[in-house]
Amino acid sequence: MTARWLIEKELRELAASRSYWLLLLVIGALVGHAFITSVGIYAEASGIAGGPAALSQGLSPLEGIVVPILGAYDLAATLLFPFVVIRLVAVEKQTGGLALTLQLPVSFAMSMAAKAIALVAAWMFAGVVGAAALLLWRAMGGHLYAPETWTVVLGHMLRGVLTIGLAAAAGAVATSAASAAIIALTITLGTWALDYVAAARGGTVAAIASYTPSAALRVFEHGELRLSTVLVLLALGLGGLAIAGAWLQQGRTVSRRAMHAGVIVLGVALVCTAAAQLRSSRDVSEDRRNSFSRADESALRQIQQPLEVTVYLAAEDPRLVDLDRGVLAKLRRTMRSVSITYAAGSRSGLFERPNEHYGEVWYSLGGKREMSRSSTDEIVLETIYSLAGRQRPTSENEPAYSGYPLAARSGLAPWVFFVLWPAGVVALWWWVRRPRLSRLQTVGERA
Amino acid sequence: MTPPSPALRAAPAPSGAERPAALRTDNLSKRFGAFWALRGASFSIRPGEILGLIGPNGSGKTTLFQCLAGLSPATLGTVTRDGIPIGPGQRKQFLYFVPDGIRPFPDQSVDWVLRFTAGAHRASQNLLARITDSLQLGPLRGARLGELSKGEHRRVMLAVGLLTPQPLLMLDEPFDGLDLRQTRDVMGVLRAHAANGRTLFLSIHQLGDANRICDRLVLLSGGEIVGEGTLDDLRSKAGLTDGGLEEVFLALT
Repeated sequence: MTARWLIEKELRELAASRSYWLLLLVIGALVGHAFITSVGIYAEASGIAGGPAALSQGLSPLEGIVVPILGAYDLAATLLFPFVVIRLVAVEKQTGGLALTLQLPVSFAMSMAAKAIALVAAWMFAGVVGAAALLLWRAMGGHLYAPETWTVVLGHMLRGVLTIGLAAAAGAVATSAASAAIIALTITLGTWALDYVAAARGGTVAAIASYTPSAALRVFEHGELRLSTVLVLLALGLGGLAIAGAWLQQGRTVSRRAMHAGVIVLGVALVCTAAAQLRSSRDVSEDRRNSFSRADESALRQIQQPLEVTVYLAAEDPRLVDLDRGVLAKLRRTMRSVSITYAAGSRSGLFERPNEHYGEVWYSLGGKREMSRSSTDEIVLETIYSLAGRQRPTSENEPAYSGYPLAARSGLAPWVFFVLWPAGVVALWWWVRRPRLSRLQTVGERA
Repeated sequence: MTPPSPALRAAPAPSGAERPAALRTDNLSKRFGAFWALRGASFSIRPGEILGLIGPNGSGKTTLFQCLAGLSPATLGTVTRDGIPIGPGQRKQFLYFVPDGIRPFPDQSVDWVLRFTAGAHRASQNLLARITDSLQLGPLRGARLGELSKGEHRRVMLAVGLLTPQPLLMLDEPFDGLDLRQTRDVMGVLRAHAANGRTLFLSIHQLGDANRICDRLVLLSGGEIVGEGTLDDLRSKAGLTDGGLEEVFLALT
């Protein structure tokens, strides 16, 4: 009963927040722009302007439509949604409402859970315009493959949970909403810097950077459902909420709250470290972009010996990016035991002349070693089969992904995203904010 | 304001002086850096009484209330109920504190805030209606809290406190912002609640108001308790044979 009141309170406070209504307006414009642009490019690639016929083969709505349209939510989660979360947390402190909330006959964890539920609901409601865009695409005759589409949606949901956690922690720790906004922006800039540094350094930094919001989202956008990424995002988001909950309990001394927050940080770090070891992953893309052919997968799974790969390529070398994405990631997903060592001594590879091995990739299996300089899966698989003493299986019977070209444009889209949606948001805002009882009305009731 | 309804006017409780303490604080102290805002505050709150906390500005009244309510960590001291220590996290089971100067839920209507408080604290609709009526909040139900005058907001916060079920209600400056008639009427409402068995602990700036409503007083000065008891007790402590609370206050602070 009390939980219902708590959730209603948070939803009402959200509805009173101008920042949330602004987010709804902006997200409509962003999704609309992304929709019109991506559908236009997709149509051109599909030959609407009479381009080469071969261009449309293999066109995937995942990367042509779904990812760019829902990409608007990444921008919103980075630059808009944190302020909605911060307002909900910080305003309660500033107005003194927190003193009343702390005295409610429920645990403070439940109060925080109510905030989280309301914020997740708000994030989901913002998703309505994205869903409308995908429905419009379907109405145009476009194709959507449910597993990969839902995986991208899940990625954005988890991105929202992460934002909720981090912004709530910032809102709780900072003395004012403005300070909390600065902290949230600093965290965002920090993750961008980490992405940038990781691209040049590799190693542990790259491993950590694979869980920055943008890097984690790319996994889902690539049609991969990776357990470790899901768990790390959840742990970070819930950890942020737990820190916020610990910090807002003003009856405790600062040192005790800091210790509590420190324990939570430690716990989250342990959970993330453990989750990062999990290799469970599913390729949910329709074109199986994260997998070898089914025949190769079956053959590779039968190889019992551990595969050791030593890569003499620097982190900045584009060949390493190709090798990692096109071969090594697939090998990790498929084979029972794969260990990869990045052995280049430099960051760029440009000045690694003295290292005669630079550019080589060594594969060791069952006591045998072989070197390849290729970053294409065909050649690497040949090398592995050769080491394992097996013939490469034929995969001729597997149907090739033919793609879903669609040479169409929507004349309805500008009306939906730039007229109907903003009008709907403004109307809803008015409806939610309208006074239920006027002073005159209640005076009249008494009279 | 309407007089308290019969339901609020329960049989008068026996004098608090004869009853055991509902709550007791011992050596409650609060330090901010090198400054002790509260030092060794020890006193009792008796069931059903209206206890007043009086003291000059900056004497530590709000700090004492916050520490007692568990909303600010005390540096030293204990709070006990029936001799059993109550940790800061448990105190909300026994007491409810309405701080001074808060402006919560500025975008929500009075009607919703009262229904929320009643719903979250499981107060009956009957009690909600009676309190709304006794504090004359009916005409304000449709207004948002952020639109209210200081006095109107004060009455809403009083209603919030009165809707809660804890046996002890602590109100920080409950008459601040109210005019003479409203003050008198709110006193009537508070007395009716006390008569119904609820203990009230009020921080009051105006000595005249404190004298009119409180059964006993705790006098705070410079973060220390300089007196506790009825006006007669305080008068004798101050070495005065007659004189009102003002004279006693000046003599003891």
